[in-house]
Amino acid sequence: MARNGTKTKAEGGTSQKGWFDWLGDKLDQWVDWLATTKPFAFIAGRILVPYWAWRTPVKRLEGGPRPSVQPGDNVQRMMNLVMPLKDKSAVGRALAALAIAQNKDEIYAGLDNVGTVHFARFVIVDDNICMFSVYDGDFSNYIRDFIVTIGSVFDAVVELVEGGEDVIPSAKHVEKFIDWVHDHDIYQVSDVATDILRDQEEANGDAGAGNDDLRLLPRKLILQLNVNRNVSLGSGYRAYPGYSAAQVRQQFGVGW
Amino acid sequence: MSCKFNPADVQGNILRGYRKPRVRYLMLEISDRAAARRWLTAATSGTGGVPQIATESGQRWATKPDTCFNIGLTFEGLRALGTPAASLATFPTEFVQGMNKRAIKLGDAGPSAPENWEQPFNEPARVHLIASIYADDVAQLDRVQHDAVGGQQAFKLLRVRDGWCFDGDYVHFNYQDNISQPRFAEIHDRDSFSDSQPMAPLGTALLGYPTNFEGLKWRIPEPEPLGYNGSFNAFRVLEQDVVGFEEYLTAAATELLEHPKVNELLPPGAEANIQVKEGQRLPRHDALREVIAAAMCGRWRNGVPLALSPDTPNPSPDVSRTKFDYTNFDDDGAARCPYGAHIRRCNPRGGQIVQRVANHSRRLVRRGMPYGPAYVHDPAKPRDPNEPKRGLLGNFIGANLGAQFEAMSCDWLNLGLQDPRITGSNDPLLGANEPETSWFDLPLKSGAPIRLRGLPRFVTTKGGAYTFLPSMAAIRYLGSLTG
Ligand code: HEM
Repeated sequence: MARNGTKTKAEGGTSQKGWFDWLGDKLDQWVDWLATTKPFAFIAGRILVPYWAWRTPVKRLEGGPRPSVQPGDNVQRMMNLVMPLKDKSAVGRALAALAIAQNKDEIYAGLDNVGTVHFARFVIVDDNICMFSVYDGDFSNYIRDFIVTIGSVFDAVVELVEGGEDVIPSAKHVEKFIDWVHDHDIYQVSDVATDILRDQEEANGDAGAGNDDLRLLPRKLILQLNVNRNVSLGSGYRAYPGYSAAQVRQQFGVGW
Repeated sequence: MSCKFNPADVQGNILRGYRKPRVRYLMLEISDRAAARRWLTAATSGTGGVPQIATESGQRWATKPDTCFNIGLTFEGLRALGTPAASLATFPTEFVQGMNKRAIKLGDAGPSAPENWEQPFNEPARVHLIASIYADDVAQLDRVQHDAVGGQQAFKLLRVRDGWCFDGDYVHFNYQDNISQPRFAEIHDRDSFSDSQPMAPLGTALLGYPTNFEGLKWRIPEPEPLGYNGSFNAFRVLEQDVVGFEEYLTAAATELLEHPKVNELLPPGAEANIQVKEGQRLPRHDALREVIAAAMCGRWRNGVPLALSPDTPNPSPDVSRTKFDYTNFDDDGAARCPYGAHIRRCNPRGGQIVQRVANHSRRLVRRGMPYGPAYVHDPAKPRDPNEPKRGLLGNFIGANLGAQFEAMSCDWLNLGLQDPRITGSNDPLLGANEPETSWFDLPLKSGAPIRLRGLPRFVTTKGGAYTFLPSMAAIRYLGSLTG
C-alpha cells in the first residue's frame, strides 16, 4: 500500500482511496475525542496506536540536545543516558550500584579532567542504569575525552548493560562507543510545540513541509513516544544560562 | 597486522606538502562502476594513460616531478564503486553522513549553510571522487586533467576548481600561511624542523598507528587493505571577503585611536617598530591596523609569532616561526598572544586549556591554496561590486575527522570552549560571526583587555566534502572489486 512516504491523511497525503484509507480516515477522526474519553483509552493504547504505527512508520528521533550554532545553546547541554541492565533483578541493580560505588572516585576525577562537565550523576530507574549529566560543547568530544580519561573504569559499568560487550574496551572501540552512547542518550522533546512537527518532518526526509496544524501534535507525539519510550521534556531549566563550567569555576576562583 | 611503516603505500600529499604553486581539483561522479575500477587500478601504476598516483617515500625525490596526482573518495564514492556493505559499515559516522549533514557542528549556518553551497557540493550524493593535480603551471594541469578524465566513461566531470599561490606562502587577508604543520618522526628530521611541540605520532594522520592519546587507536575500516594507511580529509571551499576584512581593520583602528587605553596597546612612537615594507614608517592608524590583524591571527602578517615577538613584526635578532609555546611567559600569556587568536584557538600547544587531555590531540595537517587574484587594499578605492571571488581551497587532514577537524571546528574555532576567557566568542578570522554579538579581546599587560566588537563573518563556506584518502593497497583493492 503506497502511503506516499510517511505522509498521513491528516497532512493531506494524496494516495488512492481504498477501503483501507477510508478506515484510516475514520480512525484519524477519532483522535480529537479519544484522548479525553476514558473508556476508549484502552482501545487507543492497544489498537489505535499499533495501527497508526503500522500505517505510518515513524523514525525514532535522535537523542541529545538539538544542534545549534548559538554559543548559549552549546553550553550546559543535558545528557540523559538510559542503559538497560542485562540482569533485570534486584541482584543486577545491586551489581550496578556496586560498579559505580567502586569506581566513583576515579569517575569523578576523570570528569574533572574532561573539564567541560557541570554535573553528573548515576541513577537506577527500574532496570536501567542512568547517567544524567550537564556538559559543555560537542557531545562526541565530551564522550571521547571521557573515554581517554577514564574509559577503562567506565567499561566496568557498560559491561553490565545490554549490548555493552560490543563496545568495550572503549579505548579499542572509540567510534563505536561514541555512537553507542549517543544511541542511549534519550530524545529531548522540544520546549516549543511546533518544533516537534519539524523534528518529525526532518527525520522523515520531509524538511520544509512546514505543516503547523497543532491538532496533529498529539498523534505525532504519541507515535514518537511509541518508538522512543523515554524522553526528556524540553532541555531543562538553567539558573544561570550561557556559562561554561570553566567560566563558573573561574568566577568562583576554584581553578579551571 | 602489518606494523612496519611503508611510506610507498601512502599517498604523497598527506605527511608532507609538495610545495607546488598550482593545484586543480576535479570533482568527479562515477558513471560507470567497472570503468572506474579499471581507472583506479591503472592509476596505481600509471598505465593506460591514467596519471600515476604520487606516493610518499622515505627519502623525498632527488628531483621533484613536474606534477603530482592524488585522489580522495567520499562515502558515496565508495558506495558507487560497489564497496561491500559490511565494509562500508566500518567507516566512522561523520564520514558516512558527509560534510553537508555535519553543517551545524562546523558552524556552516546562514550564508555558509549547505543549501547555499556551490555546485557540485549542493548535490553531495553526486560527488564521488575528488582528484587533485599539483603542478608548476596551467599547461601541466591541463595535460594531467586530460590524461585523467579526457575521453573516458568512468567519470562525469562535475566541476574543476583551481588554486594558486599568487605570492609564495601568502594567502588572502595577506598573511603568510603554511608555517606550522605536524611533523612526523618517520618523515621529518627533527633537527631541520625546530618546534617546541612533540613530534606528531603517525596516527595523527594515518590509520593504523598510535595516536596522541595513549593506548588509543582509531578504528581501521575493514578489510585491512582498504583501511590501513588511509587518512581522512575535510576539503573546504572557503570564500574570503578580503575587502570586508581590510575595511574592518580600518574601522577598528579608527575606533582604537579614540580609546583611552590605546597608548598601552601601542605606545606613542612604537609605530616605528611596525614596518610592513622595509624602511617605511606607518602612520599610527595603519600601524594599529597591523596590530589588530596580528592579534586576530596570533602571527604578524609576515608570519612572526606574537608569542615570541608581541611588539614588532621585525624583531632583531630574528625569532623562530615555529619554536614557541604558550607556557612559561613571565607576564600574562595573553599579553603576548591573545587566547582567542586564530592559531592559538586551533592549536593551544602546551598552554592551559579546559579539556585537559586535548592538548596536542586535535592537530591537523593543512594543505591549502588560495583561489582568485591577489588583492591589494586601496583605502581610497570604494568596494567594487564586481570584485572577483577569492578564498582558500583547504584540505584539513587527520586520521579522525571527529576528533580533529570537527572537534576543532565546533568547540574551539566557534564557541571558544577551551578557555573561559574566550568562551562565547568565535574565531575572529573565520568564525561564524555576527556583528551584533561578536567580540574579540585585545589583551593589555595591565589587565582588562580592550574589547573589539562588531566583527562580521569574513569567511563563508561555499562547499566541501569529507573524503577518504586511500592507501595504494586500498586503491588496488577498490580496483579489484567485482559485482
Ligand atoms: C580562509 C580561511 C583560513 C585562513 C585565511 C587561515 C589562515 C591561517 C594562518 C595565516 C595561519 C598561520 C600560519 C601557520 O601557522 O601555518 C593559520 C594556521 C592554522 N590554521 Fe588557519 N586559516 C583558515 C582556515 C582554517 C580552518 C578552517 C582551520 C581548521 C578547521 C584552520 C586551522 C589552522 C591550524 C590548525 C593552524 C596552525 C596553528 C598552529 O599549529 O599553531 N584554519 N591559518
